[in-house]
Order: sequence, then structure tokens, then C-alpha cells
Amino acid sequence: MSGSALREPPLPPGASYGELIGVVADPVLERGTGRPWRIAFAVTLLMTLGLGICIAWLFIQGVGIWGINTPVVWGFAIANFVWWLGIGHAGTLISALLLITRQHWRASINRFAEAMTLFAAVIAGLFPILHLGRPYRFYWLVPYPNTMEVWPQWRSALVWDFAAISTYIIFSLLFWYWGLIPDLATMRDRARSRAARYAYGVLSMGWRGSARHWHRHDALYRAMAALAVPLVVSVHSVVGMDFAASLMPGWQETIFPPYFVIGAMFSGFAMVVTLAILLRRGLGLEKVITPRHFDAMAKIVLAGSVAMAISYTTEWFTGWYGGERAELTHLGHLFTGAYAPIYYGMLACNVLIPQVFWLRAARRNLVTLFLVTILINIGMWLERILIIWNTLSHGHLPSMWHLFYPTFWDWATLLCSIGLFTFLFLVFVRIFPAVAMHDLNKRLYQEKEERA
Amino acid sequence: MSLPCLLLAEFRDPETLLDAARRVREAGFKGLDAHTPFPVEGLAEALGFRPTRIRPAMLVGGLLSGAFAYWLQWYSAVLDYPINSGGRPLHSWPVFLVPTFEATVLGATLTGIVAFLISTGLPRLHHPAFAARGFERASQDRFFLSVADPHVDAARLAALLDGLGPLSLREVRGE
Amino acid sequence: MSAGSVLSRRQAALGLLAAAISGGLSGCGEPEEEILPYVEQPERLVPGAGLRFATTLALEGYGRGVICASAEGRPIKIEGNPGHPASLGATDVFAEAEILGLYDPDRSRTIRQAGRPVTWQEFLAALLPRLEALEARGGEGLRLLTGPITSPTLLRLIAAARGRFPGLVWHAHAPIGEANARRGAELAFGRPVSMLSRLDRAAVVLALDADPLGPGPDQIRNGHAFAERRLARAGRTEFMRLYAVEPATTLTGANADHRLRVPPAMLRDVALALAAALGAPVPRPELAAKQARFVEAAAEDLRAHHGAALVLAGESLAPELHALVHWINERLAAPVEAIAPVFPAGAEGPMPLAALVEDMRAGRVDTLFILGGANPAYDAPADIDFLNACKQVRFAVHHGLHRDETAALCDWHLPAPHALEEWGDLRATDGTASLVQPLIRPLYATRATAELLGLLQGRLDLSAHAAVRETWAEGRTPEEFEVWWRRTLHEGIVEGSAAPRFDPPEPRLPQVPPAPAADGLVLVLRPDASVWDGRFANNAWLQECPRPLTRQVWGNAALIAPEEAEARGLNQGDVVRLEVGGRSLEVAVMPEPGIAPGVVALSLGYGRRRVGAIGEGVGVNAYVLRTTDTPWTVPGVALTPLGRRAPPVLAQEEQRLEGEARELLPVIPLEEVLRAAGDASRSEPPPTFYPEFAYETYAWAMVIDTTLCIGCNACVIACQSENNIPVVGPEEVEWGRDMHWLRIDTYRQEIDGEPHPGFQPVPCMHCEKAPCEPVCPVAASVHDQEGLNVQVYNRCIGTRFCQSNCPYKVRRFNFFGYADGQEYKNLGEPVVAAHFNPEVTVRARGVMEKCTYCVQRISAARREAKKENRPIAEGEVVTACQSACPTSAILFGDLNKADSLPSRLRQEPHHYKLLGHLGTQPRTTYLKRVRNPNPALEGDAA
Repeated sequence: MSGSALREPPLPPGASYGELIGVVADPVLERGTGRPWRIAFAVTLLMTLGLGICIAWLFIQGVGIWGINTPVVWGFAIANFVWWLGIGHAGTLISALLLITRQHWRASINRFAEAMTLFAAVIAGLFPILHLGRPYRFYWLVPYPNTMEVWPQWRSALVWDFAAISTYIIFSLLFWYWGLIPDLATMRDRARSRAARYAYGVLSMGWRGSARHWHRHDALYRAMAALAVPLVVSVHSVVGMDFAASLMPGWQETIFPPYFVIGAMFSGFAMVVTLAILLRRGLGLEKVITPRHFDAMAKIVLAGSVAMAISYTTEWFTGWYGGERAELTHLGHLFTGAYAPIYYGMLACNVLIPQVFWLRAARRNLVTLFLVTILINIGMWLERILIIWNTLSHGHLPSMWHLFYPTFWDWATLLCSIGLFTFLFLVFVRIFPAVAMHDLNKRLYQEKEERA
Repeated sequence: MSLPCLLLAEFRDPETLLDAARRVREAGFKGLDAHTPFPVEGLAEALGFRPTRIRPAMLVGGLLSGAFAYWLQWYSAVLDYPINSGGRPLHSWPVFLVPTFEATVLGATLTGIVAFLISTGLPRLHHPAFAARGFERASQDRFFLSVADPHVDAARLAALLDGLGPLSLREVRGE
Repeated sequence: MSAGSVLSRRQAALGLLAAAISGGLSGCGEPEEEILPYVEQPERLVPGAGLRFATTLALEGYGRGVICASAEGRPIKIEGNPGHPASLGATDVFAEAEILGLYDPDRSRTIRQAGRPVTWQEFLAALLPRLEALEARGGEGLRLLTGPITSPTLLRLIAAARGRFPGLVWHAHAPIGEANARRGAELAFGRPVSMLSRLDRAAVVLALDADPLGPGPDQIRNGHAFAERRLARAGRTEFMRLYAVEPATTLTGANADHRLRVPPAMLRDVALALAAALGAPVPRPELAAKQARFVEAAAEDLRAHHGAALVLAGESLAPELHALVHWINERLAAPVEAIAPVFPAGAEGPMPLAALVEDMRAGRVDTLFILGGANPAYDAPADIDFLNACKQVRFAVHHGLHRDETAALCDWHLPAPHALEEWGDLRATDGTASLVQPLIRPLYATRATAELLGLLQGRLDLSAHAAVRETWAEGRTPEEFEVWWRRTLHEGIVEGSAAPRFDPPEPRLPQVPPAPAADGLVLVLRPDASVWDGRFANNAWLQECPRPLTRQVWGNAALIAPEEAEARGLNQGDVVRLEVGGRSLEVAVMPEPGIAPGVVALSLGYGRRRVGAIGEGVGVNAYVLRTTDTPWTVPGVALTPLGRRAPPVLAQEEQRLEGEARELLPVIPLEEVLRAAGDASRSEPPPTFYPEFAYETYAWAMVIDTTLCIGCNACVIACQSENNIPVVGPEEVEWGRDMHWLRIDTYRQEIDGEPHPGFQPVPCMHCEKAPCEPVCPVAASVHDQEGLNVQVYNRCIGTRFCQSNCPYKVRRFNFFGYADGQEYKNLGEPVVAAHFNPEVTVRARGVMEKCTYCVQRISAARREAKKENRPIAEGEVVTACQSACPTSAILFGDLNKADSLPSRLRQEPHHYKLLGHLGTQPRTTYLKRVRNPNPALEGDAA
């Protein structure tokens, strides 16, 4: 993609293998938790408990505590699901796509990006279940021989979802963990405390860097990377089909699957940048995550934003060109309806603002990057909720037009899910090396060879 | 693979390790292996490993689970419990392909994982090599060549590696 | 799971009933007296669960014959009695909702003195000595206050009581009533006459603020007749033309071909102009061009249909105008029939409420019986101070279903039985008498009105049953009486009891007084389509039933013309104060296109203070602005905005249809149907890849004729009653979560600058290519062998994908356990559970539900057919909505039979599929709404 941006080697020339490992491992093994971390930990822990309360209340009262109504039967839960899953895409994409396309600079970011993927995907998987009227029956989507002697209804996009997402979560976990094993061995060998040595030792499954193991590991890891790309694409295409495989104006569009995949990559990369900035500061990874990395990622985000713009315009054009009454009404509702202001805000966040990345300075200015990527994620959430609101609140029959008004529980569940995500991430960076050390060293070795 | 005796030669950088590997192999030593902090290209060839069969296994596993997924859908929707769902054909093959694809990926992945564990013998928490002093740096910044050949002793290996300047040369007693 | 919970709830209910019943009765079941099941099933009547009995329900004192289905001794469903002239097999909202009224948890259960429960004996101990004393005084100071009474038995008992107490005075109070019509008839004919209009013989009808199709005791009969004359079918030529002149939209106006909205004062001029145009020697008033043109065209049309032309005067018109209309009808030889008033008038008739209150204030009343649910403390005109007058009465007894506003003023309160609990008799508007037989033992220690009247004669043992039999045994030998009694109970009507028609004398041309000149707005008061005069305020079904046209639920609003609202800068939901004569009320405004400028329309019956958990504090009490001389039209009303907002709760927010959207409910002139009669070119469904599924046995389908739908809502309540559909309450409706399986979409489209409302009942479409089915991940929404789109509640996990993909949005989701533990207010009380139809699952929280085409009725019919080992006959399955419909606008049947109604109607040129272009191939289809415009009024300025 943007390897061209990396003519200069991204790693400090003088670095040695041990030094780089130290940079990554020491924050975990040597340095204590800083005050900011502890505050963040406490806050997000509370939010996680908050999520528990939201869910408990949901189970006691029923989904009626949300703002959903007869025409707008879907609401925040589905939007959150799509949004989180989108975020949960960049990790695997970066890791796999960049690996296959030999973007070696990925080494600095793929580990935590994969972790992000994992957490986001798990949280995403939570929402479709919570959203059910009878959540304790979600397992009826699993094909298993049962006394009712009925099977899942394979034509439903929700069954595809279920297959895709469960596959994706399992896959992401394994992909992340297998990449982690050699580093766990490193941690084991560097750890001072007995407990840590044992813990890492068990987790690393007795990895001893044998050439034979490396050989197999490489074969498996690259093969998985090759599988990951179509998998990622399929997962969000299926999510797109949740809407596209319908009769509703504004949903029944062939562009949805690719449009959703792009959107996912877009928001995912934005989130990676946000996290990278925080990590770099929090763990002092300036040596390994350099402005060049941000430059490259910003370019990808920019590309995503342009792709989004194209998707939107295609959507409008087909709606207008098709000339079907319901589609035209829906189009009119987009721009003039009750949700129009939010829609314009969404367009600003996703299309307008990211254009600053045409400027090299903006791509390398962390403050700009941080703000813009946050806005992009807000914009992407708005996009998801608007896809639901605009179509369902304004369907085929005017008699059933009714708006959606969020409730306290809608907002609480969304915010607390973000809290849970951050909480998991904070725990992750304190236990695991946030950067793939063996990949770093391999990259260093390659650079040395290139210089030689 | 508990051995009578394990010889470990320690090097500072991958290049020397590669030379050493080539030499010991040409010398026809058996039980060759190496321990490195990151995958060193060419090392497998240098040590004369056969290409792994993980990927063919993954292909087979993937295809099998995909086929099963499709069969399950066809059987349940057409044979076992045929229902008129929105007037769609019972055998709606285009949509059956979606779960089939996911199943293929999952099957391939899991097969790959299993194949890996079998072919590497992991998890294995103990290994004689761990007994060697300084071996913990094998996962950080040192590169070890290991020879497990009853007919080879430290002296012979040292003689062979003469000129490559191994940092150390140890003999680990296997139990 | 839901089934289980219902069962246990039902058992709990029966348990509690048993506990609640005192006075030697135990358990709930049929009364001790023999009651007789409806044996021979008239054609096209569905065999429902359990037994079916004929009985009669009252509205405004008039009877509407019904068949009531009861399961395990519990009345569960009301249906029309085809043999009864006021029902003709159909029902109205009030009749359907009586089921919930019976099980209303807020019903009064015990006798009380000063709010303290006492026994019947204590009451007698207090009453009897009093009666002795009164008898000695010749009954001086003994008064009866009732609602309108047509019951022969009660009239007989009142007469008998007068025998014992010559001084007894009987007063009747009816907040709605028909006073103007009566006085008008007396003016015209010189004696009490009531005129029955025969819409079924009319070709042209002009309604002067009359609402024959609106709610009321005659709605069903009129609706039936209306439908007979407005059947738009290929090849059929005769089609009634309906004109309406009115200040506020009524159902009649909504269904009229031409409607003229005028302020109430203008009605006088229109009537005079019409009379003049028909040759009456009256001054021809000045009319605006548009109105003149309208009257001219209408008059021409009426004259052209001599013998089949009919003019109707609304109750709100002054008696003189009623008389004038009688004169006009005479001139047109209109299809009206004269009968002696069913409701006793003149000497033997009752005195008005005003007289009573006057005497009360003067202390001339010492013992007062308020019987049959009369509630003057709430609904008396504001200038009659019943409240303070009542304090003067020493011994006041209130007898009613609820401890209402009037009960609060009276020392004694006696709980009254519900209509389905006691014996009685009633007369229909045409005089036809019919018996009221109970379907269940009284749930509480109630006493029938007849029993209390018996007390007045000193007959302590007189039961309602005995009283009714006495009435009808007169002039019959015991043997023939028994036969007669059984047959009459079977049939549900007393044969040959209809009032004899006679030729009325020549109507006199009255002196029409000038219209009172008044500034400010004119307040137009109307009975409410859901709570009528307020008596149904505690019925949750009716409260949540969207009012026709406005689609408002749970309350009333001040309706004003949109231009009026704009002029005054008012938006929907702005609260205003309406003030007149020092009295005022605060109410939210709602712009309504059918309202004449300068008019505020408000419906009566709301703002009840004491009635029960459901009805208390709902809406605004319009009676406070009502006076004796301005019962319907209150001039000189001042409107001041208060800057507050209280938006009305609407079941439908968008009603306008513009441009292409009109395809949803096309309104076409009659010519198009006749012209297209030749070709029956159907709009074929778009091409599809999907295979055709064969339906060998039956292919159920429904066709709804939007021309005939008058928007009366009977089908909505019928569906609710039949299918155990829960009430969700105003807050939930506001969220957009009402549960009605069948809704009546109301659309307005501009035709020649006039808003033309149209009604479109929307049940599930049962699409053959149902979009809801393939998206369900657990196959809870599937198609059955007969083409029904069925919802498997137990399988549903509540993804709501089906509803999000339903283009018609006919599915309803249990966001809460509306019927299953999270009921609205007190509807979770066990006694309410007794109304459930055992044939239909009560749905649990978190599952989707929707119209099933009354699948339980289909399978009942299938069982019957199997027993006799024959196929289900045409018309054997009648859905609840279909059976309720007074105009037979909803028709159900089997598409596999070429001669079935749906099959035939699908060949009509004006048949269409809602959103047919989506290729869903719906089984529920429609006939376009046909107008019969007068060419003279078509085009430009009409």
C-alpha cells in the first residue's frame, strides 16, 4: 500500500536486538504502573461494572428499556454491533494484509492492533445477543441435534452473521496468540519473579525458538494470514447483507457489502491510530512507533475516507436513478428529515475532515491525528445508527412513520461498552508485550542485511 | 526426544549461525537444530529440514469442513425439515455458500493449529536445552546451534566450528 | 412458556372470582336460571369456542342484539346477531368492548354507606321504614333518576311503583340523547314521532351535520344500509351519492362524495337555502359562491331522485331545523318511516334533570334513587349545579357499575351488575324488543335495577329474571309462554315487536329563528367515538383504540382548522385555555383539515375524576363548557395559548398522501369502475426466480373494500378481543409500541382542494413471498400449507428481523410483558385474565406476534369439516374483523374456490395489491376507494 512512505528504515540504525526487546518488554516487566494508568484502570473498571448493571436491568425489564419501537425495531444495539465489528477489522487486516504485501513496518503495530481486533470483536458479538427479545435462546442459531427437531433457517443473514462472527473471533484469537508465543517465551526468559516465569512459561507452551519450530510457525502463520484477508472481507460483507438482503428503501443496495468492508477498515484504522498514539506515549515506544508509521496509516485512513465518499455518492445516485417512490422518499428524508443534521455531521466526520491528511504535516502531527481519528470513529458510529434510523423510521407506508428516541439505557450501554474495551486494553498492555518483539528483531536483521 | 547428550554452540549473529549450520550438516552430523530469537531465513535449508506438510493439511481440513457445512445445510433444509420460507427454493444454494465459506476458513485454521502442535511436539514445558546456562538469551539476542549425535562430542564440534568463533560451546546432559 | 403462564393465571383468576363472590354464590358459571344456547347457526356464523348465547347490549338505552361466546362459563367474545335489526350480524366498538368492561377490576363490588362496606340487610333496614313513611305521604319527595330507558320491564316496574307512590317523579338524564330531534318532530308533526331513515332505499343523501355512520345506537344498521347502496362492482350501476355539510368531520363526512365545511351557524342558512331551492316559501339566505353552488347542485340532485332522496338533520341542529328537514323529506318523498317513539315521551315519560335539581335545591327531594349508571355529577350541563343540590337530599342511593363522581355525592352506593350478568329486556331504535340473558353469575354482590324497583313496591324477593318473565307472560297462557320464552331466548329477538309504521301527518313548515350572532370561536361538542359520553372511560380497549380520523388515543384534543392554527400561530400539542361564560378548560390543540375555520371541536367523555385506574385523569372534561341551552354548539369561546405543550398521543403521525404515494390508497371516480368493467386486466406480479408453491387444500385470502370501510374501528376491537391482544398504555403508544394486529391506516388526499380522508384496514398481508420469513434465523416465521404466514411464538427469540423487513410493518413485538407480567396499570389483576380466549396463546415478553387470519377459527372449521368428512364450505370461516364489520368491507375465503368472495373480488377492475410492485404477492388485497362525485361540483372551484 504505502510502503513507498518508508524509504528510510523505520527502526533506529544503531539499535541492537536486545535493546529493542528491552524497549518493549521492560515497561511490562520492569516499570511499575504509572498514575494515569491507575486512574484510567479505575474509571474503566467502574464503566465495566456499569455495563454489568445495564445488562442486568435489560434482563430484568426486557428490551423495552431501549428506545426501539414498532417500525424502528432495531436501534443502538445493532449500530453498536456493526461499529465495534468494524473496529475489530483493522487488526487482522493490518497484520495479515501488510504481512502478505510485505509491509514490514507492520511489525511495530500489528500486535496491539490484533488485540484491539480481538476485544472489539468480542464486544461486538455481545450486542446481537443482548438485542434479542429472549437472549437466553440465542443458541438456537447453532445447528445442533435438538428435541425440537428444527434447524437454523439458513437463508437468514443472522445465521450467516453468527457463523461469520464466531469464526472470526476464534480465528482472531488464534492468530493473535500464535504470533504471541515466541514473545511469551522471551518474557519468560526475561521475567525475574518466579510466578511470572511460570505463567509466561506455560503460556508460551515451552517455546524454545527451535529452527524447526520457527519453520512450522512461519508456514502456519503466513497461511493463516492468507486466510484472514478473505475472512475479514466476508465477515463485514455479511454484516452488510443483514441490511442489503431486505426489501427496505435505503437498505436494498448491492453496494452495501463492499461499502461496509471499507467502512470497517476505515474506522478500524482510525482506532489503531488513536491507540498507537496513546500506547506510544504511555509505554514510551517512540523508538519503535515512529512518525513514519503514522504517516503511512494516515494515508490509509485518507484512502478509506475517499472510498466512503464514493460509496455515499453511489448510494445517492442509485437511489435517485432508480426513481422508485420509497427510495426517493428515503433520499429526501436523508437530507431534509428529522435526522438530517446528524447526517450532515456524519458526512463531515467521515468525508470532509479526513481530507486534511493530504497534508504531510497533518499526517505526522499526533494531535491532529488523534482528534481526526476520534472524529472519524464518532462519524462511523453515526453512519451505522443512521442506516437504521433513516430506513426504519421512514419505510414504505407513511402511516407507520415514527422516529426513534434513545433512552438513558441506550446511551449507558454504548458508553459502558467503550469502557469495557478500554479496560481490556489497559490490562493487555500490562501483561503482554504490546509490540511483536521477534518481528522487530527480524526487521532489524533485514535492515542490517540491506545496509550490508 | 530425550537425548544422551546435547551440544550447544552459541553465536552472536545469524550469519555465523548459518555458516556453522552448513558446516555441521556437510560434516554429516545428525540431530541438528538451532535456537534463535526470530526466524532466520535459510536456516531450515541449511539444517536440511524437509518442507513441512502443514499447508496441505490445512487445505484438506478446510475443504472437508466446508463440504460438511454445505451438506448439513442441504440435508436440514431439503431432506430433514423442508419448510416453505418466504416461497424461496428449499435448496437455496447461493446463500448456503456463505456459511460454507466460513466453515472452510475455520476448518483450515483449526487443522493448521493441530498440525503445528503435532509436528512441533509443543506444548512441551521441559527440554534439556533449557538446562544450558545462558540459554534464556536464545529468545532474545543469541543464536544457538544444537547437535544431538551420539557419535559427536564437544571436541569434534569445536574443531569443526574452528574459525567461526562461537561465544561458547556447552555439553548438556540429557536425562 | 407463555401458554403455561396463562393457564396458571387463568386458574388464579377463577380462584379470585370465587373468593370475590359473596351472597351465597360460589364459583363462576352459568346462572341458576336456565339460559339457552344459540342452537341453529345462521349462515356465515363461525362456531367459536364453547357455547354461544343471544343477548342484548344497550347504548343510549337502545338495544343491539348480540351473540356472546363463552368458554368454561366465561364470556369471552361478542358478535353480532344476524336476526336483530340493530345488529344484522355486525357489532360496534362499544359492544365488542363490553367483554373487558365485565372484567374491569375497578367495578364496584360491595354495598357501601358513606364509603363503608355494609350488608344488604343494613340497607333494607335503612330503606324500608323510609318507604313506609313515604307511602304515608303519597310518595312526596321520592324521586327516580335514570338514564334513557326502553326496557319494557323497567318501564312496567316504574309505572307500578308510581301506583304505590303517586307522588313519585321519574327523571331521566342523557348527556347525549336526542332531545332536539324529538322537539323537532313534535314541531313538525304536532306529536311525538320518531323518524327512521332508510339509507338502504336512498340514492342521494344529504347530511346536515348528521352522522348516521358515526358511533351511536344506529351505527350498525345505517352502516349496513350504506354498504348495500355503495357496492362498487363491475357492471353494477346504482351507487348512492352522499353529501355532507358539517363544521367538524364526522365519519359520514369522511365517507361523503362531497363535503362542505361550514361553521355551525351557517347550517341554518344552508338548510333554508335548500328548502327554498326545493320550493319552500322561506327567505333565501345569502350564501357564499362556493356554498351556493354546493347547495344548488345538491338540491338539483335530490330533486332528480324524488322518492330516493333523503336529507338528514344532526342532533346538534335546532328543533326548528329538524322540523324544516322533515318538511324537505316530505317534499322529496324521502325513504323515512314514522314510528311512535320507543323511548316513552309525554305524560308517562320522564322529567328532565333540570327539574330534579331545582326541586333538590328547594329541598323538595328527600329520597333519591339514581339508577342504571346515570352520572349527573360528571356529565350534567355546567349550569346545573347537581353537586350542591345533592347535599340537600337526605337519602340518596347511587346504583352503578363504578363508584363514580355521583356515587361520591350519595350516602348509599349499590354495585350494579354488568349487562352480561343479569336478566333484562331492551328495545332497538325501531322498537324491536329483545331479551337480555346473563352469561355468567354476577361476579360481585350486585343487584339489578329491576330488583331495586321491586323494593319500591315492597317486593323484596323480586328477581330480575322473575320481573322479565312477568312482563312477557302477560296475555300468554303458561304453556305457550314457556315455548315462546325458549324460542325468544334462542333467537335473541321478540318476534313482531317492532313498532308499527304509520303515515305521519303533513309536516308543518316551522319558523326558523335567526342564527345567534356571536363573536369569537364556536366550540362544537361531540360524543366521543371511544368513550361515548364518558361511560366507557375505564375501558382500556376503547381508550387505546385510535379515534377515527385523528388516530388519537388515550385522550381528547381541541381540533381546529389548519388555517386557523396557522393564523393563531398554534402548533399541534400547544396547550390553550378555552373560556366562555367565566368557565374554562385547558386542552392541547390539534389541527384537523376537516374542521371549519372559526370552530373548535372537542369530544365529551374525558377528564373523569372517579371511575377507575384506567380512565381517571385521561383527557379533558368538556362538560364544564356545556350548558342546557348550548349542548352541542357553544358560541363566543375565547382561546388563549398558554405556552405549554402536551402533544396528543397518536397511533399514526403522518396522514398526507401526495404524488405517487397515492398509489397506496387510490381514490377513483365511479366511472372508472364502470368503464373498466369490460376488461379485467390484472396487474401481474413482477417476474421472479422463486418457484411457485402449490397449495392443494386451501389458499386463504382476504379482500378489503376500502370504499365500504367507514372507519368505525369495530374490527380493531373485535381483533383485540378475539386474539388476546394486550393494552400497552399511553406512554408505550407514544413510544410507538401499540400492539393492535389490525390497524386502520387513515390517509388524506387533496381532491379539488378538499381533503378526502380514506380508511385502509391493514392486517397481515400473508404474502406468498413473505419478506419476513427468510430473514428469521430460527424459522419462527414460516409459511403453512394453506398459505398462511404463521408466527411460532415458542420458537421466536425476538431478533425482530422479520418486522424490520416487513414493508407493511404489520408485526408487533412484546417489548415488555404487556400480557405477561408487565401489564399496564391494573390489567394484570387476575380477574382480567378471565377475558382471554382459550384458543389463542397469550404471548410472552420478547416474542413477535401478528395477525393470523384467526387461524384458531380456521382450525375450528377444519375440525367440524373433518367430523362430517367434507371440505370447509365457502363462508364457513369468518375472521373476527370480518364478523364485526357493519359494512362487510372485509371478506375472507379460499382462493382455490373460483366462486369464493376473494376469488371473485380479485377479478374486479379496481382490485389492487398494496405495494404489489415489491413482488411480495400478498394474500390480503384491496379494492380501490370509489367516489361518486356530482359532475356539477367537479373541477375548478368545487
